[in-house]
Amino acid sequence: MAKKYTMIINLAKCIGCQACTVACKFQNNVPDGKFRTKTPANELKGTYPNVSLYFVKEACQMCQKAPCVSVCPTKASYYNEDGVVLVDEDKCVGCLYCMTACPYDARFLNNETGAVDKCTFCYELKVSKGEKPACVSTCVGGALIFGDLNDPLSQASQFLAKHKGEVRKPELGTHPGVYYIYEGVVK
Amino acid sequence: MDVIWGVSVNEVAWGGLIAIYLFLAGIAGGAFLTASLTDLFSKQQYPKVIRSGAYLAVVSIIVGLGLLVVDLGRPLSFWKLLLNVNMGSVMSIGVFIVSGFTALSVVYGYLVWSSAVAQKQIQITSANKEVAAASAGQGLQAFRKPVAGLGVLFSIGTATYTGFLLSAVTTNNFWHTPFLGIEAVPFLPILFLVSASSTGLAATLIGACNCGDLTAYKKVDMVLIMLEIVLIAILYLSVEPIFFGGSMAALFWLGVVIVGLIVPLLLSFYGITKHKNVILPVCGMVVIGGLSLRYFVVYTGQLF
Repeated sequence: MAKKYTMIINLAKCIGCQACTVACKFQNNVPDGKFRTKTPANELKGTYPNVSLYFVKEACQMCQKAPCVSVCPTKASYYNEDGVVLVDEDKCVGCLYCMTACPYDARFLNNETGAVDKCTFCYELKVSKGEKPACVSTCVGGALIFGDLNDPLSQASQFLAKHKGEVRKPELGTHPGVYYIYEGVVK
Repeated sequence: MDVIWGVSVNEVAWGGLIAIYLFLAGIAGGAFLTASLTDLFSKQQYPKVIRSGAYLAVVSIIVGLGLLVVDLGRPLSFWKLLLNVNMGSVMSIGVFIVSGFTALSVVYGYLVWSSAVAQKQIQITSANKEVAAASAGQGLQAFRKPVAGLGVLFSIGTATYTGFLLSAVTTNNFWHTPFLGIEAVPFLPILFLVSASSTGLAATLIGACNCGDLTAYKKVDMVLIMLEIVLIAILYLSVEPIFFGGSMAALFWLGVVIVGLIVPLLLSFYGITKHKNVILPVCGMVVIGGLSLRYFVVYTGQLF
């Protein structure tokens, strides 16, 4: 059965250490100055001494109705058999149309290959071998959960059943496959 | 950029080269329309206008495509756009529209050029050889009207395509603006078609400015400018004010509105009676306005 991979980001557990950012760069040889994922701080809330801050991990949202896939003129951006949005480096000509279409700024031009690059959920290197993406396995706070939503027994399915997962920019109709849990943070 | 604290700067994926390409494709479409419609329907003879428009179309579309290829992440793989087709992608469809237009404009440009050369030869000498050569070229001239006719469709296609390319990005609030709130009708293709016709006509007239009475063309351009003013006003009222208030505001008001539309329109009213001498400034400003418009739209859609 086809998988429906998801990543769940439990914001209350993220301490902003950037271990995910670094693990991703090492795992995927991401060029200098570019990021497949990064976890910037959100706006500081409140006034001293009652202040709060949280971090929001950013990466490809693995949309089920991905604007990047529909605009791509060469079908280089595509959904693989497990619903993961990927870029076929060989077909990509680097027109960057997908970058204008992506509302999450998840894509960048890889100057070393000339093709567009982004998070792959570590599909080739990890997930297809039964492992978890580099960012998930390295996360020190246990803020990241990865799994198959088509499997009701997976950790991801069970977690989402108990907690309210929200997606980024739902109004755009992109149907992201990455969920954010805001429980325990001051939004 | 600071990964943790730096507010991520909105980087633009499409920059100046794309804006210039959209502008040149518009010029090419408008110039071809000017030349071919004159060729097909005008009772008066405007050989210089036809030549100017036909040559301008070839040069601008080829330079435009060159910029487009250079702007790719992998310029040498541009041919993959012709092999891997995604019918759901406006750009993929556009590749074929623009390629068709380029081919037609090259053929048309050649036919216009060869007939001009032939006529010159006949004028210069009556030596048998050259007359024979000229008449051999006349056979091809039978294709000129059909090529012009088909080219009209492709030039309209090219000019509107530059708008559809941007308006098809549904996640972009500015580019995706609908026409008068009608969700099925995107705004930019209409605006870019009018702007292309206006700037293409203006650029063609620059190339033909020292020939006869161009009053008819100037009147058409005035109508197009007025139409564009109405469209720009509609756009201004249909989108959120932030798009016209950011760092691109100066370019919009100065480049698009004042230099591109208001001043040329006023000068045209003045010049229509005196004609000839104001063609260069009027048309020059219209062309600058068209370039400003493409820059403004391309950047505003990505910055805000």
